[in-house]
Amino acid sequence: MVILVTGGSGSGKSAFAENCVVSLGEQKRIYIATMYPYDEESRKRVARHRKMRAGKGFETVECYTGLSRAEASEGCTVLLECMSNLVANEIFQEEGAGEHALEEIKKGILGLKNRAANLVIVTNEIFSEAAVYQGEMKTYLECLGKINQFLAEEADQVVEVVYGIPVYHKS
Amino acid sequence: MEMIIGGAYQGKAAYGKKAYPEILWKNGAELSREELFKTEGVLNFHEFIRKEMKAGRDTEDLAPELIQRNPEVILVSDEVGYGVVPIDAFDRAYRERVGRICTELASYSKKVVRVVCGIGTVIKND
Repeated sequence: MVILVTGGSGSGKSAFAENCVVSLGEQKRIYIATMYPYDEESRKRVARHRKMRAGKGFETVECYTGLSRAEASEGCTVLLECMSNLVANEIFQEEGAGEHALEEIKKGILGLKNRAANLVIVTNEIFSEAAVYQGEMKTYLECLGKINQFLAEEADQVVEVVYGIPVYHKS
Repeated sequence: MEMIIGGAYQGKAAYGKKAYPEILWKNGAELSREELFKTEGVLNFHEFIRKEMKAGRDTEDLAPELIQRNPEVILVSDEVGYGVVPIDAFDRAYRERVGRICTELASYSKKVVRVVCGIGTVIKND
């Protein structure tokens, strides 16, 4: 089972995705964390997420770039959070795949889909606003948009979480 | 409690006023916290949150207090979390806070309607 969870900022995506994983059964649970803790604000976000996950039996695997190298054993349930961070790392970080970000992430996802019993991916809707972006930011948005479309094709379920309410786009 | 949400300029206020013509609607940007607890219908609820944060007032307990003191209120609010992460720290905090508060209120609400192009879709109806 592959589930894509999307939504806006602060919409309750993470809580929903964690509940998804718990309801999928007793398989080993792996949390692939993609947010690089580069400042106080991001460290606080990481801490908040760790607190939310506590007691749910997740083993945390940090993966800032190179998803295809992330360790996930056969038959486990994987929660990958969040695709918007992973794409940003691949594009903006030195160790990242740069212009090959799209292929690198696709490869990583297909690998995980093969190995894991269940794969739940959290991504982000950051595409609806008035500002127009150029350069690297435009590349980033385009890449994330393409990956979201790819993930939706690979997924059995696509759900947008709106203020904690699941709105199903594919099921 | 009921919520009418959606992007800016989608006809949320008109939708609310049409659904509830009998109640008194007030603008969240102009309400004090005490007034908020006595208002039947609040437009621009997100603006209320922004105003409180700008004034440096704590909004951590806003959702539970609103649930307790004005459980029948109808709230109209913009969804503000669908853009790129803002560069400005206040904008980031505001965007996140609107999300957290509205998620808590939506969980309590009996009904949540999302308005796009003036058309309301009921996404929760307990």
